[in-house]
Amino acid sequence: MDVELSEILDTLCEYAPFSDLKDEPILQDMVKDIEIQYVRAGEWVIAPEARNDTLFFIRSGAIENKSKSDKLLRRMHEGDIFGSSSLLRGGRSSQTMRALEDSLLYRIPARWFIQFYSEFDAFSDFFELSREVRLKTAMDNQSSDLSLMTCPVHSLLRRPPITASHTVDIKTAANIMANERVSSLLITEDDALVGILTDRDLRNRVVAQGLPLDVRVDMIMTQNPITIDAGDFAAEAVLKMMATNIHHLPVIKNDRPVGVISTGDLVQRESHGSVYVISDIYKQEDVEGLVAISKKMSHIFTQLVNADANTQMIGNAMSHIGVAFVKRLIQLAERQLGPAPIPYCFLALGSQAREEQIISTDQDNALILHDRYDPALHGDYFRELSDFVCDNLDRCGYPLCTGDIMAKNPKWRLSLSDWKRTFGEWIEKPKAEALLHVSIFFDLRGIYGDKTLARQLNSHIRQLAKTHKGFLSALARNANQRTPPLGFFRQFVLDGEGKQSRTFNLKSRGIAPIADLVRVHALALGSNKLNTFERLEDIEEAGVMPDGRARDLILALEMIGMVRIKNQKTQVEAGEEPNNKVDPETLSEFEKRHLRDAFNIVSRQQEFLKYRYPGKG
Amino acid sequence: MTLDNLPENWQQAYQEMANNTQSDALKRFYQAGVKGLDCPLEEAPLVALDIETTGLDSDENEIVSIGLVSFSLQAIKLRSAQYWLAKPHSALTAESVTIHEITHSEIQDAPRLSSFLDEVLDAIAGKIVVVHCAAIERPFLYRAAMKHYGEPLLFPMIDTMALEANITYKPWWKRFGRQPSLRLDACRQRYHLPRYRAHQALMDAVSCAELFQAQVAHQHLNKQDLTKLYCY
Repeated sequence: MDVELSEILDTLCEYAPFSDLKDEPILQDMVKDIEIQYVRAGEWVIAPEARNDTLFFIRSGAIENKSKSDKLLRRMHEGDIFGSSSLLRGGRSSQTMRALEDSLLYRIPARWFIQFYSEFDAFSDFFELSREVRLKTAMDNQSSDLSLMTCPVHSLLRRPPITASHTVDIKTAANIMANERVSSLLITEDDALVGILTDRDLRNRVVAQGLPLDVRVDMIMTQNPITIDAGDFAAEAVLKMMATNIHHLPVIKNDRPVGVISTGDLVQRESHGSVYVISDIYKQEDVEGLVAISKKMSHIFTQLVNADANTQMIGNAMSHIGVAFVKRLIQLAERQLGPAPIPYCFLALGSQAREEQIISTDQDNALILHDRYDPALHGDYFRELSDFVCDNLDRCGYPLCTGDIMAKNPKWRLSLSDWKRTFGEWIEKPKAEALLHVSIFFDLRGIYGDKTLARQLNSHIRQLAKTHKGFLSALARNANQRTPPLGFFRQFVLDGEGKQSRTFNLKSRGIAPIADLVRVHALALGSNKLNTFERLEDIEEAGVMPDGRARDLILALEMIGMVRIKNQKTQVEAGEEPNNKVDPETLSEFEKRHLRDAFNIVSRQQEFLKYRYPGKG
Repeated sequence: MTLDNLPENWQQAYQEMANNTQSDALKRFYQAGVKGLDCPLEEAPLVALDIETTGLDSDENEIVSIGLVSFSLQAIKLRSAQYWLAKPHSALTAESVTIHEITHSEIQDAPRLSSFLDEVLDAIAGKIVVVHCAAIERPFLYRAAMKHYGEPLLFPMIDTMALEANITYKPWWKRFGRQPSLRLDACRQRYHLPRYRAHQALMDAVSCAELFQAQVAHQHLNKQDLTKLYCY
């Protein structure tokens, strides 16, 4: 009876770890020892306190895995395996298994599990490798294709750099550029890069100024230009060009220039549009122009997604663009209202401050005013400025904040001292309820005006936060309020408290919980980073979390973020308003499996947060 | 006692047949009795059985394969699975080949049914046989025994198809459209059981056992008196 049960063997071999063993003849012997069991929804498979002597393979249906304290750990379905951990502990099970749907189970006697575990590395690896590792491997495989976003900068270089010594005169430099047909020239001193000269510099700084052509080139070049490392991702070059609004980026390897990346090099690539949009924004002379550009945002967003940008890059790009809109609007406001009577700083809050903005985010902003602020004298000016900026941001596709956390709200236009006092109250007398509404203020970045005001406020917050345990534990408790949808499963999802819904919200149940819990660690550390990925790097370095866990969270955030972004891209392309809701039925098997792993990681880190920042519940 | 005239009292009929038979195999079979005939279903030893044939008419067609597997309401033990191929006396029809995919070359070297019918009887002796569509299984096994032993072979069967017809039955005034299909695969889908490649006797026996477990679980038949489930 070797061929007769082949259908059962074939099914097992479709799934890991049996797929790695499918050529082993001994598997046919194992199949003969399988017992098949039908369980109805609601029945126990491994009841509390029960012993287990079987490895279970789910042939069909769904099984719910809970901890002793009845916390949902995992939902498993067709092809999943359970029972291994109790077998490894000699049959003692610390968790329960219950059928969530009518299920058909293949029961494999423990002795086969023990035998395979000791004989086949592929088999034992499967059970030892944590979910985290599986996730990482999957992410690595996913991004193996070469695209603009994943290829290194040096792969875009087409020729060695054209250079000239810093001692040559303008005429010689211009001749070299003409002969070599390049639009930029790298200026070196002892082979090291000291500057860059572009076509535009020759036009603006030489011809327009009527400068003689025998002036040395180092008098007119851009000194110590922004550069990029040859090993960096090409996408980072794009982001740098966007952030700084430059069109030529020298590439450096071992302290020597090896080439130049120009926007022209990226023209063939899809994402060039996003490089130009920022300079377009700064060229607009009125709000109408900005509104017109804002209509192109969805197109730029889809371009970035199509170019396989990762979530960090997209978040970064969308934030830079968002900031450009704010800055240009402030410039237009200042043009109307005249220069500000006292120094001030316009603040981005929340995702824009963390540089994790995506398409269609509400605006969250505030204003820090110099301590000379006198409402009677300066109040009108800043009210008008804020109204202009916020109302027009709304017109440019950044809707007004429903929680009224905007510079438009006089409550959030404070002098530096008042801000320090406000934060002092939040931190020194923490009330979890109140903190819930202001957590967004703890991600704060100065984007326009006197940025030293923002820096001073940030360092004040950092000093204060890390020494106040009560504040950290209140923040930790808040961070755990939104839980990942561990039960997300096939067509139904439990959204919120037991209510069934067809979709679930990737932002509120995945991305926001990660940002929240990472913020707690970052504040506890006194890290000056705002971006969640960068904060996680600080956290990893400081060793706050157990080894490797910060990395797991980075992967989880990337995975959840990617699904959200792809989902939004689909919505945009279908002409719908992009949102954060995902219908699990539209997800691929790959996405489902790894989203589940990602949510498990988030849930585990929420647990860790409770333990790390304990406080009265 | 014939196909058209099944006994009212199986225990008594078994005793009579055990006394009258000339065949050692049939004697063993009937002497084993029907264990658990008077016990609740959850205590009864069960065996699922399926045959593939050269056609649907038991007078003209023959058995080409038999698969069976012992089970309880808790577990189907693949260790107990058995499967035989039989070389028929008549040629396979193209029609039947397309159904069970057993081809001429496969059964060329197979033994005759008569050489292993004793083993089949030993495997099901003392157990309650569960089949899907007793109207096929019963007459074919009856004829096979007549041919081989010169005596009839009859035993009580639980028919998952009859059971399903009962479960899905609706009076005519509540029926809308097509009646639910009672094919094995269609029945299984109602219980969300996985789909198998049909018409391989052993997998069909396993399928039938799974379906029965599901029916019992859904209808709470585990305490049921066995006689209520018999198909006469």
